Amino acid sequence: MGHRTVKVLGKITAETWLTALFLALGALGTIFMGQLVAEPKVLFGRSLTAIPPSLFPSLVLGALAALAALRMYQIRSAFFSTLPEVAGPSALGRVVMLFAVMFFYAFTMNSLGFLISSALSMAAVSWIAGNRSVVQICLVSLFSPIALYLISTRGLAVALPELSAIEFFYARVFDW
Amino acid sequence: MIEQFAEGAMLSFRFDTISMIVIGLFSGMVVGALPGFTTLMAMAILLPLSFFLDPLVGIPFLLGVYKGGIFGGSIPAILVSMPGTGAAVATSIDGYKLTQKGQSRKALDMALFASVIGDSFSDIFTILMIFPIALLVMQFGPPELFAVLLMSLVIIVATSSRNALKGLIMVLFGLWLAQIGTDPIGGVERFTFGAFELKSGIPLLPMLIGVFALPELVYAVMRSQRAGGFAKLVGARLSRAEFWRCLPTIRRSTLIGTAIGIVPGLGQVVAAMMGYSAAKNASSHPETFGEGEVEGVAAAEAANNAVNGPTLVPLLTLGIPGDNVTAILLGAFVAQGLRPGPQLFEEQGAIVFGILVAMVLANLLFVVIGYLSIPLFSRIVTVKTGLLVPIVIMFAFAGAYVFRSDATDVLMLVLFGLFGLLARAAKFEVMPMVMGFILGAPLEYSFGQTVAMAGTEPLKFLLSERLGMFLVLVATPIVGFYLWRRMRAATA
Repeated sequence: MGHRTVKVLGKITAETWLTALFLALGALGTIFMGQLVAEPKVLFGRSLTAIPPSLFPSLVLGALAALAALRMYQIRSAFFSTLPEVAGPSALGRVVMLFAVMFFYAFTMNSLGFLISSALSMAAVSWIAGNRSVVQICLVSLFSPIALYLISTRGLAVALPELSAIEFFYARVFDW
Repeated sequence: MIEQFAEGAMLSFRFDTISMIVIGLFSGMVVGALPGFTTLMAMAILLPLSFFLDPLVGIPFLLGVYKGGIFGGSIPAILVSMPGTGAAVATSIDGYKLTQKGQSRKALDMALFASVIGDSFSDIFTILMIFPIALLVMQFGPPELFAVLLMSLVIIVATSSRNALKGLIMVLFGLWLAQIGTDPIGGVERFTFGAFELKSGIPLLPMLIGVFALPELVYAVMRSQRAGGFAKLVGARLSRAEFWRCLPTIRRSTLIGTAIGIVPGLGQVVAAMMGYSAAKNASSHPETFGEGEVEGVAAAEAANNAVNGPTLVPLLTLGIPGDNVTAILLGAFVAQGLRPGPQLFEEQGAIVFGILVAMVLANLLFVVIGYLSIPLFSRIVTVKTGLLVPIVIMFAFAGAYVFRSDATDVLMLVLFGLFGLLARAAKFEVMPMVMGFILGAPLEYSFGQTVAMAGTEPLKFLLSERLGMFLVLVATPIVGFYLWRRMRAATA
């Protein structure tokens, strides 16, 4: 993709993106309704329900496509932003980094366990949020996951994903 | 009804209920006092905690967070002119001027007393009104229910979105999200793309935390703000004479807030601005408003807190959340196995009244806690974002996970957070989407039942037996639109 294309895409407003997304969802959903909704259950050749399962979704997605198209028509002269960016590149960079950390947190919670994934993610978030004190970052990211883990698992009897080794350690310390 | 009420009142006077209300009030005030953090975010994050408590403990806890948060939002509004919640914007007009005059203590005292009076009156009104309305709703059949649900969505679109077309698009998107999973009528799969995780549909909790809490956190990080060190609590306390002088204003604002609370979607911001405008118009010295008038603080705070009780009327009687806070409360009710609607009063009347009595109890506790802890909360205003955001994110992730112990829910949380942020950037309100999602299944179910009842002669059916339904369906949103425009014109 050329530099010019990236520049043009970057100027498309958030409203245009979202409305186009809704338009695509409504249109594609209506067209491919047959593949997206299972066939209704039939007994002795007759449907068991008063309305087919695709009726309500067809009404909703059809209306969504129509209204999104109408909105696209309304904003046709404002697809691209002519104003300077409200949030500067540093703020946008922080948003991208923050979501990258959150996706990392979501994907590693099961595999690394709650404590390790939380500690890593919290340290990163704290740094992204502007905290530059290493002592504070370490204290917050190490002790708050342990506190929440103990309150949840021991106090409220709620399961949080954790590595077996850590589970065994806690079991030995707290349930001897 | 009286027996159920008495039983509920007895049930609410428990040590664990009272303790959790106190914790809720305290937590709400802490979060509300932090600039950039909202009551809604606090409720979304703490919602999962309520699932593991008894209904008469968990739901009053959330109500405590709500009440504490609304008042907490007025602390930075008064001390540093940074409203912690949208509802506190009107409070900051005169509250901050009082701080600049060296009378911040007086402003916070007035905010506390006006909040409690407004809230208590509206809660008592709710208790008196809710049972007759539930009796009326019990007469509803599927067509009436369908009409009322549709009407609610129309009102939400009209009131919560600046652009009705964008609101409608979001409602439809919410309705579509509600259709993912298993069809409520025929039990067949829809829009699951073969994914096992989607068979039971999209879970409400990650959606609520994702669209309401995560964008707030992202914005807090983008601003990386820290309130200035000006948050000093100075000056004399509120005198008895000043309180009595403000009482008519509190009374007027309470009535305004209570009336606004009944209408879905309007909420505290509108109530506070209307209460403030009405007080200014009725005053013999309107020129003092905006220059540090304690009556201005009273007007805004009484009105925004008086909204709290009546918003529960449509929620408890019809299962329709009137705003985003009650949408979160609906999540708490459903998780506790209590499905709001007319049948709730038949099946669990004592618990419902217990929760309502606990709301009044929370106000009494609120006076004491608020009065004693105002100096403490005034210091919280200066806490760093970099320390709090990671802790709140951890709570959000743990909360999204624990309800079903499913890692997919955590991923959904992030995806909904991303969507919420995009929607905010595109100036699409997420509230209509959440409402569409919550009301999607009952709307489709009642639609199916109505079609079945109509049989082969739908027009004859609708025109003969259900004409009233159509009148309600058509007339109410029109009246709603009209009233909403008048209110907007008044508050502009």
